[in-house]
Amino acid sequence: MSDLRLICKDGPGYPEGLLDLEDPPPLYVLGETTTAPGVAVVGTRKCTRYGMSLADGFGHALAGAGWTTVSGLARGIDAAAHRGTLRGKGRAVAVLGSGVDVVYPVENTHLYQSILAGQGAIMSEYPPGTRPDRWRFPARNRIIAGISSAVVVVEAGEKGGALITARLAAEMGRPVLVVPGDVDRLASVGCNRLIRDGALPVLGVDDLLTELELILGRRPNQASPPNGVIPQAGVPVEDLPELWGCSPGEALARLARMEVAGEARRAGDVVLPGSG
Amino acid sequence: MYAAATSVALVGGDARPVRVEAHVGRQSEAFKLSGLPDTAVREAKDRVRAAVASSGIRFPNRTVTVNLAPADLPKSGTDYDLPIALGILAASREIPPLHDAVVVGELALDGAIRPGSNAFGAGVLSARQKVPCLVASSVAGEAAAIPGATAYGVASLAAAVDLIRGGLGTVEPARPGGCVLGEKPPDLADIRGQPMARRALEVAAAGGHHLLMHGPPGSGKTMLARRIVGILPPLRLEEAVETAMLWAAAGRRRGLVVTPPFRAPHHTASKAALVGGGSGNPVPGEVSLAHRGTLFLDELAEFPRSHLDTLRQPLEEGVVSVARRGSSVDFPATFQLLAATNACPCGFYGDGRRPCECRPAILGRYRSRISGPLLDRFDLIVRVARVEAAEYTGPRGETSESVAARVNRARAAQTKRGQVNRHLEVGDSVESKAAAELVASAVSVGVLTARGADRVRRVARTIADLAGVDRVEEEHMAEAIGLRGEWRDE
Repeated sequence: MSDLRLICKDGPGYPEGLLDLEDPPPLYVLGETTTAPGVAVVGTRKCTRYGMSLADGFGHALAGAGWTTVSGLARGIDAAAHRGTLRGKGRAVAVLGSGVDVVYPVENTHLYQSILAGQGAIMSEYPPGTRPDRWRFPARNRIIAGISSAVVVVEAGEKGGALITARLAAEMGRPVLVVPGDVDRLASVGCNRLIRDGALPVLGVDDLLTELELILGRRPNQASPPNGVIPQAGVPVEDLPELWGCSPGEALARLARMEVAGEARRAGDVVLPGSG
Repeated sequence: MYAAATSVALVGGDARPVRVEAHVGRQSEAFKLSGLPDTAVREAKDRVRAAVASSGIRFPNRTVTVNLAPADLPKSGTDYDLPIALGILAASREIPPLHDAVVVGELALDGAIRPGSNAFGAGVLSARQKVPCLVASSVAGEAAAIPGATAYGVASLAAAVDLIRGGLGTVEPARPGGCVLGEKPPDLADIRGQPMARRALEVAAAGGHHLLMHGPPGSGKTMLARRIVGILPPLRLEEAVETAMLWAAAGRRRGLVVTPPFRAPHHTASKAALVGGGSGNPVPGEVSLAHRGTLFLDELAEFPRSHLDTLRQPLEEGVVSVARRGSSVDFPATFQLLAATNACPCGFYGDGRRPCECRPAILGRYRSRISGPLLDRFDLIVRVARVEAAEYTGPRGETSESVAARVNRARAAQTKRGQVNRHLEVGDSVESKAAAELVASAVSVGVLTARGADRVRRVARTIADLAGVDRVEEEHMAEAIGLRGEWRDE
């Protein structure tokens, strides 16, 4: 717990987005804080396998594009989004409804540790040691919405925290993007309703990145990671300098090393992650 | 009564002396002209007679015979007006003999002298044969700029006569001048985004590498290509002379311009227009007009394959032979080839935003229109992506001036080694152990073919030159591997 920090709304490192809340709370933070723009990927705990894989893909793609992925470390969609982000060597931020030292659910302990081991952060407005009480979670969702520049709802039932997050985000003027689902699938009922209410449907990983770029402007220029990250969906060679935040020459050199090491391959002029 | 003057013919982009022999006989008035003159030369008779009369000099009312020797070399153009006039006047003892002075210039009917197109040829002969030359005053500075040349400028036939009567040695020759930068080429700063393509263009310019760009329509391939002129080093004086002569041989005045030429023939251009030819005296084509500069072939795949195949000789040897019945003329044609093409007939292959509508068979056929041997010539093949809307409003790119500074440095290093990197034997390149290992493992894991590796090593040499270092390091090799592109095997 040595690197536990408490940041307040007037202090340095406080997420700007939280100032949109009526009551910007102080935050307990483990790991690296950043003011880099985040995208929340949220959804129901009772999700489908399809939803999980989609959330994982989103997390991975967001990491590749340099976005910070924000979620709640819950079962299901939340956990999948975090996992995808970590796989893409991206930055994951988990906002808990308990103290930052209390892992809930316990099965996500490994994920919790991985987030801290990476460039990620664990945040909570509750003091360390606070137990995960049911009523704390909806309040936690306003922080997720607040620190994110956009919210993506992957799967949501008729009721649930994800819908609350989406509503709060919309109220704060954040774009809400929603994955459409079968009309008779319980895990998508909430999503489809959000779309009917005017949320933007997301039609895939590429579509998500395109929409985010359209709505929020350029992708964040990631501080160049030691190893280039290549989104699962592939990336045109000419986009690498921007993606990795380096000069064209460095990007090409890095790509070449990755190719030789089998970490990247080319299909025409699109770069894909290596098969191995 | 006989006299002779020396003039110039441009053969294969080189200046050859032409002896203008004039004889004034005793028979009644006539004017005969021999020595394979073309129509323009034949019409000199009328211009000369009128110009002489306008200048207040007596034109002999006898039989005048003029022969242009060697008599089997076709003569063309209007530059023989002045030597014919002076030859006749010398033969009729109106003026002293001309000795060896090289004379070119077109006459106006009032006796004024127009520059014509061969002032350079006269200057070159003047320098080579260590004789003075006499040209129109408006171009005398350009001829005088050729190292070793002595040029006298005359504005009219009367002035020329006065000069010869007074003796060439008694007046000061023209001062060198007319060495100009040419029109300011468009600036790279106009190009927003496109980091990879810009880098490829810089590397191509620095190493003289042939560059093939492909990408969807409207992505800026042509815009990029036209900006290579601004980042290439200026021509050295002798190169500027060479190009000016080739241009003159094609009937175009270029002046002593040090901006490298940039030629962009359309894909409907005839074979003769591309590599040279024409009826009568062969005229240099686009490949020679681009000598010491850039030949840009836009829509490369639209060029007839047979036309593209004619580029192989100049690409390999730096000259192009135009065959004629019984003889062939060689024109210098050392150029950097820049080419652009759509990725497929509809143009949207690999665009990402819009699907390609071409059937696979058509796609394959389109790609194979660029033959393997030609494709092998391109050290650099890059994709130019469509510019995203956000980038239109983005910051302006690096200026040509600042890129040119790096390119100049890289070229200077190559000049020291004796050749541009396009011609580099990869064995001669000094590479670090790590660089050599990287390219070797790239081949062994199948990222590169053996032939591709040679290309990559040449490009790596250029990247190291751009960085200003003598040894190719791993990072240079890595970038070169990254910069390689494919056309066939997508």
